[in-house]
Amino acid sequence: MMVKLRSMLAILLVFMGYVGHAQQKTITGTVYDAENQPLSGASVAVRGTNVNTLTNEAGQYSIVAATGQVLVFSYVGFQSEERTVDQSNTVNVTMAAAFSDLDEVVVVGYGTTSRAYLTGNVASVKSEDIANVPVPNFTQALQGRMSGVFVESSSGKVGEGVKVRIRGTTSVSGGNSPLYVIDGIPMTTSGTLGYSNPLTDINPNDIETFEVLKDASAAAIYGARGANGVVLITTKSGAAGRTKINASFQRGYSDPTRLKEWLNAEEYVELFLEAGENVDDREFVENRLNQYSGHSDWRTGETDTDWQDQAFNSDAGMHIVNLSATGGNEKTQFYFGGTLDKTKGILIRNDLEKISGRLNLTHHASDYFTLGANFALTRIETNRLPGDNAFSNPIQLVALAPITPVRDLNGELYDRPTTTYYNNLVDSENAQWGITSFRNISNAFGELKLSKNFKLRSEFGIDLLTQNQEQFFGSRTQSGESTDGYAASAWTRIFNYTTNNYLTYNTVVNDVHYIEAVGGMSFQKSAINYTNVTGEQFPTDDLRTIASAADITGGSSTLNDFSFLSYFARANYRFADKYLFTLSGRFDGSSRFGQNNKYGFFPAASAGWIVSGEDFFENNVMNFLKLKASYGLTGNAEIGNYDSFGLYGATSYGQEAGLSPSQIPNPDLEWEKTAQFDAGIEFGFFNNRLSGEVDYYHKATTDLLLNVPVPSTSGYLEQTQNIGEMSNKGVEVTLNGAIVQTDGFQWNSSINFARNVNRVEALGGGDILTPNSRFLNSVIVGQPIGVFYGAAYVGADPANGDALWYADEARTTTTNDHNAAARVVLGNPNPDWIAGFNNSFAYKGIDLSFLFQSVYGNQIYEGGGGYYAAAGDWFDNQSRDQLRRWQNPNDITDVPQARLGEGNGTQASSRYMSDGSYLRLKTLTIGYNFPTAWLQRLKVSSARVFLVGQNLLTFTDYKGWDPEVNTDYLGADNQSTNLYQGNDFYSAPQARTFSFGVNIGF
Amino acid sequence: MKKICIFLYSIAGLVVSSCNDQLELRPYQSIDNELALTSDANIKKVLSGAYDELSSYQLYGGNIMLLSEMLSANREIRWQGTYNQPDEVYSKTIFVNNTYTTGIWTQAYKVINSCNNILSAIDVVDEGDRDRVQGEALFLRGALYFELVKFYGLPYAAGSTTTNLGVPIVLTPTTEITEEHNLTRATVEAVYQQALADLTAAEGLLPTSNGFYATRIAASAMLSRVYLQMEDFANARDAANRAIQVAEEEGMQLVGNYANAFNNTENTSEDIFAMQVSAQDGDNYMHMFYSVPDYGGRDGDIVVLPAHLALYEAGDARRGLFYLYGDESRVGKWRDQYRNVKVIRLAELYLTRAEANFRLGTAVGDTPLGDLTRIRSRVNLETEAGDVTLAFILRERKLELAHEGHTIHDVKRTRGSILDSPAGSTTVFEFDSPRMVFPIPQREMDANENLVQNPGYGQ
Repeated sequence: MMVKLRSMLAILLVFMGYVGHAQQKTITGTVYDAENQPLSGASVAVRGTNVNTLTNEAGQYSIVAATGQVLVFSYVGFQSEERTVDQSNTVNVTMAAAFSDLDEVVVVGYGTTSRAYLTGNVASVKSEDIANVPVPNFTQALQGRMSGVFVESSSGKVGEGVKVRIRGTTSVSGGNSPLYVIDGIPMTTSGTLGYSNPLTDINPNDIETFEVLKDASAAAIYGARGANGVVLITTKSGAAGRTKINASFQRGYSDPTRLKEWLNAEEYVELFLEAGENVDDREFVENRLNQYSGHSDWRTGETDTDWQDQAFNSDAGMHIVNLSATGGNEKTQFYFGGTLDKTKGILIRNDLEKISGRLNLTHHASDYFTLGANFALTRIETNRLPGDNAFSNPIQLVALAPITPVRDLNGELYDRPTTTYYNNLVDSENAQWGITSFRNISNAFGELKLSKNFKLRSEFGIDLLTQNQEQFFGSRTQSGESTDGYAASAWTRIFNYTTNNYLTYNTVVNDVHYIEAVGGMSFQKSAINYTNVTGEQFPTDDLRTIASAADITGGSSTLNDFSFLSYFARANYRFADKYLFTLSGRFDGSSRFGQNNKYGFFPAASAGWIVSGEDFFENNVMNFLKLKASYGLTGNAEIGNYDSFGLYGATSYGQEAGLSPSQIPNPDLEWEKTAQFDAGIEFGFFNNRLSGEVDYYHKATTDLLLNVPVPSTSGYLEQTQNIGEMSNKGVEVTLNGAIVQTDGFQWNSSINFARNVNRVEALGGGDILTPNSRFLNSVIVGQPIGVFYGAAYVGADPANGDALWYADEARTTTTNDHNAAARVVLGNPNPDWIAGFNNSFAYKGIDLSFLFQSVYGNQIYEGGGGYYAAAGDWFDNQSRDQLRRWQNPNDITDVPQARLGEGNGTQASSRYMSDGSYLRLKTLTIGYNFPTAWLQRLKVSSARVFLVGQNLLTFTDYKGWDPEVNTDYLGADNQSTNLYQGNDFYSAPQARTFSFGVNIGF
Repeated sequence: MKKICIFLYSIAGLVVSSCNDQLELRPYQSIDNELALTSDANIKKVLSGAYDELSSYQLYGGNIMLLSEMLSANREIRWQGTYNQPDEVYSKTIFVNNTYTTGIWTQAYKVINSCNNILSAIDVVDEGDRDRVQGEALFLRGALYFELVKFYGLPYAAGSTTTNLGVPIVLTPTTEITEEHNLTRATVEAVYQQALADLTAAEGLLPTSNGFYATRIAASAMLSRVYLQMEDFANARDAANRAIQVAEEEGMQLVGNYANAFNNTENTSEDIFAMQVSAQDGDNYMHMFYSVPDYGGRDGDIVVLPAHLALYEAGDARRGLFYLYGDESRVGKWRDQYRNVKVIRLAELYLTRAEANFRLGTAVGDTPLGDLTRIRSRVNLETEAGDVTLAFILRERKLELAHEGHTIHDVKRTRGSILDSPAGSTTVFEFDSPRMVFPIPQREMDANENLVQNPGYGQ
């Protein structure tokens, strides 16, 4: 039956240059690397056909081809080789290591391409580049490795927020995170409980490559969701041949990257007595010091508690065990991966345990039909912490007075009123707060070769995320002390499924016209079920589930969903391997948009010219040169699921049900559109030993999805409208060099650099000034998003110690009245540029690599400064720099006079802003591969011991804890997340980790 | 092979044809706005929803009283919490973006919009309930215009009421956002007149008993507050007297023991209007900030200072309600968690009637001595005819209603003053100080170009 079909198609396709099979024969041979070692698993293919095979363990292959056909040999990390079949039946090949990634296969949406022929901008990272980097979330390992990809962990809390921005921020009220697609299936990246990060569920060891689609040409195939860039994750697949088993074990130790200095007991007493005297209330201060001293005497200095030290685990670190196996035969290949990752965070009460397994199977049912399935299951158990602003955030212990002993004479923890604020060490003894997540990301596909040119692929994938949060706060805790305990239990299930169905066509006409086209449809639907219940009044602190609560105080269940229906197409045309053209487009429909605008169309076009392919290009130095440009439209659909409707929500008052207007309708609501232009140049020198890429881009976003404030006299606060404009312009540079390549010693180096200039071009109404008077971030037309805007701080008035601010924008006059100070743009939380510098050295069996990563030109605002850098305004312990306070007339200092309770200079201003630039030794790896002779004795195929350090060195002028920071608690919705950038609020510093491990292959 | 092919194509076909419907997803926790006002039952639910909005922490769930207390701190209470919003009001340096002062404005207009929706569809309500529903909506709207004009306009006692700016008046429901929503501020006089009109109409429509919802007594009581603020003592007296008479007919009376008038899970015999709070539902920000951790409060953010405690006569049971935490006194009225928030207690009306009768030299309902004796005997204090002066009545009012949000409005109408909060400060805020008037919220100034900011807040 199949034969019939094939011959029918063959007839149809004759005009496209279909050529019948010529004389076939069997070719055999061996593939070697540069050191004459056989290469197993190298791919051998007959060009222009589906005939291909892999080399066996001895590097040998056998393939059927006809004289005149071309055999293509390829292997990751090596330059491809081509041999034309002649009379000989034996073809041996020696492959040279690739200095450049030009030959590498790049995954683009719904297909792959060769990097040399790419006209869009795609950054890639391979799994081996980030192997053994000891971070729980793979996005953290990508930091500093790709130009234009900004990665920032919000704090040192384990398994929580990591911000990823590709080529800047495009939206004010919509989401700005990229779309994550794993094996063709868009992943769930939000909607989880608390601050847990759904990307932590992926085991980095299962991943083969990450590709980041940055420009419109690359991203437009993801249409309405491509504006923030797309991260494509491809998991590992098996290869035919002997089963390879790899096991690794890694043990790490962590501590905080940086600490802040605090007053000791003596300094604390001195500052606060002075602060009291300055407001004629020394007696009040003495009474408070008595209260805060507990059983000890502040006058003798017998207690000097380092509360900051109490916030950190002394035994933070991780154990990671990883096991993988790959193998199969020519019909069926598999990859199996399993991991156990136990990470104990640097903060007390914070840890994570991840267990994951993955099985990827591919089966070639026939020459025409391939099917496969990937199945992955992860369980993560986390002991989590509250938001940074909670008294129970461990870092907030720094607010407690150093004169307060940790425990009373009976060994019980002191709490208020002896402690200034809640002593959250009580939570360590009397509370628990855990989240368990189960994540199943699986997909199945079938691929049918309809003919030599046509291929139909159908994919169906699910992403099922189930989470359960159990909180218990006992009768001694802040949350449970008035109610004999408090507990909350929450469940959520996010079921997200996608089907992709597409047809791929490719052909080569007259050996010079290469045409590839893909077209198809996709449908995605995601639904979140959420249920919670809270209870109080527990008989004892030992009974911790809600079943034991005498008073059920709350409960809820909700359901939310969204869907996308999309049709997409792309055509690549290449002429003579020199002239490259790509057209792509996507027609997207979404449930999120108004009745009048359900669908949007997102096209893109790009062209490339491989100049080095031209005959006139004779250059001994430069061997590769490509010019390329793209332009296209992508969209952003990251808004609420039902923002277009006019709604009433349910309420309850005195246990009676009610209805309350909740949303004003906007049936015209539609996509936010980003038009992006990209022009780039790619080059290679000295046979690609030095290669690189430079790109300029301009992203213009219009019809912003903006929560426009409406007069609240209407009864409503805002309406999501399509209004406003934003732009991002930037330059990206990547350079790769194989600096030394000798037999014994290799040195490879790469640099990436990206500058992005973000600007809010227009807003519907007025500027969005900070809605929280503790912070300064604002959205102002003509400025980058989230700039710090407020009073410019001068310092202490030398005459009287009053805090002074500039009264006018020109900064010529000053005032001691904060409300009378001029409001000006003070700083920018967005960096001027980001960069990464990676080096790797190999000498015999020893390898060493290090990655420096840098963020430059941004400012950070310490929201907690008004409490801890307040010159003794209240009884919070103060940072040590407050000792510089004004004391006598003519003192010149930036710290005003200490005045208890008078708020002398504690208001939000540039006083609490400092430079957030930093340079960091992000990752340092030293490894040793045991020589072959030893391996044979040990009966293993490879063995490696390694040391990996993360965040080992940080160079910065930042005054707070760690400059890689953004407090977690302000991002309640997209707009707050976008607005509140670059803030530190008792946020935990990053973890500095030193680990060692062993890796054995069988 | 062909079978697989057909199979795949048919799956694709099915998917495509069924997907279009899948783009029509509706919310599960909300209903369409057009459905809400189409039936008697739904409109009554919208009324219940309006009470829920009213009971939020931004309004009678706490902040209306809390911020009043912060304005009148007068070195009698000290704010020592970490929240900057009450702190700014306490120190009379209110930022234009203060979320608490903003919240009173935005939430009040949310309730007003719900009321306007109800009033616009009042004909749909069953005839038997129509007066009550209409009366409740008018009561809520009138009460909130009164609260708004007190916070965002200069005091009525400052004069120039027909030129001083109050707040915008909205009397129709919002169905879409248009330029017409860029309203201007009505004068103080116009807002007072609107409050009087709504409350007077409500008084005529409401029943004498209505569970914990608004009653005719509540409407009369609120009217007496408005008239008192306008120094229209005759009307204040008469409204208070009407409220007292109906309340007494309904069996209401002062709770025997002063302490028992507070920290209640259900309305007491002297609660004329109170927000309902339980462990399951409702806000009580007065408790949150006044109470201490042992009782579920935040951190004991408000301390009662000796200057206040010294005002009480020896033996005053009200003095006994304060309790110590650390070495500092706290307000017992708001000690316990999950308790109702009092908005109007009967005791206030006796004091209003006494003051108005005293000022007018009348004895409508009872003599000032009789009303004061009611209040004072409960707290073990004797009262003699010779004691009764205006200052005596006002002090009694201050202590009886202390920490319930009344003092600042009494100071404003009696043209008093408030000491700046820091002990060393020499600043005194007069009753008409712009520093004791809230800024028009910045977000509102941004959204509506026709608004004029209050003096001292830029622009």
